[in-house]
Amino acid sequence: MLTINALSKSFDKGKSYALENVTFNLKAGQVCAIVGESGSGKTTLVRLIAGLERPDNGSITMNEKVIASLDKFVQPEKRKIGLVFQEYALFPHLTILENVLYGISKVKNKKEKAQEMLDLVGLSGMEKRYPHQLSGGQQQRVALARALAPEPSLLILDEPFSNLDTMLRTQLRNEVFDIIKKTEVTVLFVTHDTQDALSVADEILILQKGKVIQKDVAENLYVKPNTLYVASLFGNTVHINKNLQNAFRCPLKEDCCHAIRNEKIIVSQSSTEADCEYITAAKVIKKIPLGNATQLVLKLESGEQLTVMTQDQNIADTIYVGFNSKDILEFDQEL
Amino acid sequence: MQQAGNNNKAFSLKTRIKRLKRDINKWSVFTLAIVFFLALPIIFIGVELFAGPGETWGHIVDYLLLDYIWNSLYLVLVCSILVLLLGVSSAWFVSRYDFLFRKQMEWLLILPLAIPSYIVGYAYAGFFDYGGSMDLLFRQLGLEFMRIDIMNRAGLAFVLSISLFPYVYVSARAFFLNQANNLLEASKMLGVGELKTFFKLMLPLARPAIVAGLVLVLMEVLNDYGAAKYYGVNTFTTGIFRSWFSLEEPQTAVYLSALLICFIFALILFEKWQVRKIKFTSSKTNSNQIQRKRPKGAMKWLIFSVVFLPILLGFILPVAQLIYWAVITASTVFDMEFIMISLQSFAIAIASAVITVFFALVLIYFSKWSTLTTIKNISRVGVLGYAIPGAVIAIGIMIPTLALDKWLINILGNFGIDSGLIINGTLLALFYAYAVRFLAVAYNPIDSTALKVDNSIPDSSKVLGVGNLKTFFKIDFPLIKTGVFSAVILVFIDVMKELPLTLILKPYHIDTLAVKAFEYASDEMVMEASIPSLFIIFTAMIPVIFLNKLLIKK
Repeated sequence: MLTINALSKSFDKGKSYALENVTFNLKAGQVCAIVGESGSGKTTLVRLIAGLERPDNGSITMNEKVIASLDKFVQPEKRKIGLVFQEYALFPHLTILENVLYGISKVKNKKEKAQEMLDLVGLSGMEKRYPHQLSGGQQQRVALARALAPEPSLLILDEPFSNLDTMLRTQLRNEVFDIIKKTEVTVLFVTHDTQDALSVADEILILQKGKVIQKDVAENLYVKPNTLYVASLFGNTVHINKNLQNAFRCPLKEDCCHAIRNEKIIVSQSSTEADCEYITAAKVIKKIPLGNATQLVLKLESGEQLTVMTQDQNIADTIYVGFNSKDILEFDQEL
Repeated sequence: MQQAGNNNKAFSLKTRIKRLKRDINKWSVFTLAIVFFLALPIIFIGVELFAGPGETWGHIVDYLLLDYIWNSLYLVLVCSILVLLLGVSSAWFVSRYDFLFRKQMEWLLILPLAIPSYIVGYAYAGFFDYGGSMDLLFRQLGLEFMRIDIMNRAGLAFVLSISLFPYVYVSARAFFLNQANNLLEASKMLGVGELKTFFKLMLPLARPAIVAGLVLVLMEVLNDYGAAKYYGVNTFTTGIFRSWFSLEEPQTAVYLSALLICFIFALILFEKWQVRKIKFTSSKTNSNQIQRKRPKGAMKWLIFSVVFLPILLGFILPVAQLIYWAVITASTVFDMEFIMISLQSFAIAIASAVITVFFALVLIYFSKWSTLTTIKNISRVGVLGYAIPGAVIAIGIMIPTLALDKWLINILGNFGIDSGLIINGTLLALFYAYAVRFLAVAYNPIDSTALKVDNSIPDSSKVLGVGNLKTFFKIDFPLIKTGVFSAVILVFIDVMKELPLTLILKPYHIDTLAVKAFEYASDEMVMEASIPSLFIIFTAMIPVIFLNKLLIKK
């Protein structure tokens, strides 16, 4: 449905790239999340797809038609893409109803259509209000209704929940995606929060410094991350550097990078109790109670420091930590 | 490796040209056309230089040029000192202290801007003249020998300073009010005294703002014709008029204009250099206002006098003098013809304000839609007209339009049509000149309100399937209305006050209040000039007060 090929964008004439050689596919009806830190190029990618920026190289194809390339550019108003901005971008001088009507002025029965959309997002009865009279969550839903009203073939949500507090965020995320599911639209969902991505996306695309690092289903990203960065996005991860390898006496491949997920590190009171291949004794320097678990800052025999989590409430001053080879994540060194 | 190769290719000449072909659109072309149109007068002056100087040029170089340069430098220097003293001190005191009538004086200090400098000049000339109010006062006091002669270079510098200092006052005050509080408090906490804080901290920090105001003042000083002419001081502008009207030598006027432009660009470079040398990053969140101190005892009266003096000299005295004259001459001046002239003045000012604002809007939005960054930078050239004195713009329009008209008359003559002048000496040329000269006046308030509209708002309109023009009318325009409105008012005031450009380009049968006042004054009927002058002042005053309210609300 959407094909991005070798897409590049630079804002300083090629000195640095906001987006570099990005290539991926999106199938119709899919929800794909784009995850990355701020500055990773997420918003640039979205703006290129929407037609608000022009690519320096590569192409974007939608429904078998090239919409942006070196010699072709389809104006944003001709692309039939719905976009919900991070700051919602509601038209402040128009009422809620007028906002939703805005994109469907040429549609027959536009009033009914707009009303239908407002019903869908649960805002019927607020048609005559202005954006500033609504709460953040309500504004969000107006933006969604406005974007969905023209029945776009692709809906892009650009960090739609980042302006909301945590409680509201989870609730609204579920609501929004319940609404979206009803419309069967293809969705590109930009977020810096992996929880957001995991809970709603069919596939997740990881962007780092303008490049696609990995695109896969959530499960694979957890089990077989491409890089240490991807691994650490989906849970606390410890990089097994040379010193740790020595401490645990576990020789690993020289030209690779290794890591272990925090929850795969086994903590036990005695060396015999623990069932793991690599083990070492450690002194507990600090215990930080976190409610459902305790965080331990350890000093290994070798002098290395390590932070682990445990459910165990009674921790002696000296304990044993270890892990198994099957849990070790391995990446190419350069990544 | 492959990636690097790819991206090197992305900025090779071939792909750049490909992209340029993809990205250039009608808005880019329109923007370039408009910038070219607005820059034409200056381009013509440049082109005309190649035709060589006129016959009298040698005479001017030998006898007058040094005078022009020396007088202009003198005015620039003396006016700089005076406006800095008046503008910065009053701005600091009204921002830092609370005293009797402080709130009223805060906006009264802006009012001198409502009076064109040449009118202040007429008032002071009358005030100090033989038999004038000052003379009478001295005689009453038995001080006949104390007559002050103001009709000279120093007098002109005084008049220009007293009417132009508000430019410095406004920009310095804006800085003191918005940026200074945290710094002041920090300075206080460090135990630094009031005077030292001002000279060591506030003054250096406010320098970019003050210099910006000062450059505006100096541009007006070099633009002035009416006051310099009346006071008999030879400046570049009076020289341009003399070459054009008395010597009838356009080429000489062109050469003087070119020199004046160089002079002004040196000033602008000076400003850029000053601002670059100290580019302070100011925290934008710092919105808490200065806590005003209440001065006591003698200090209270000193501050009051320092703030009141510029109001007295720049507004109250000249207006009082004008009102006195107006009462005397009302019966002779106020007739049907005068009402007609007032109406013409209004109509011209409103029409040119609307036209100029239209150009500003078109320039701002077309360059925005053009997507090429180069075009955006080029579009700023269109705003430079504000730096160019009105007389120079007028010459730059007069020469090509005369040539064009000659050509048209010839062609039409071949068909047996006697067309007469089509562009030159018509309102068309006048409106065009005002648009060139005052574009920046309209551009800046519109641009700053447009910047406050988040880009995502028009962007979402486009994503929703609505094109640029329709988005402008449905979304952008309603959101920038106040900026557009203040732009119309500001241009309106400037056109009402404008003299040199109007004098050269106005149609024969049409007069404005400014021209009428100038004509009275030139015909030794300065008292009669008071009524048109007061009309200009009062029409300019209402919007000045209104805009100040807007400014405070911001």
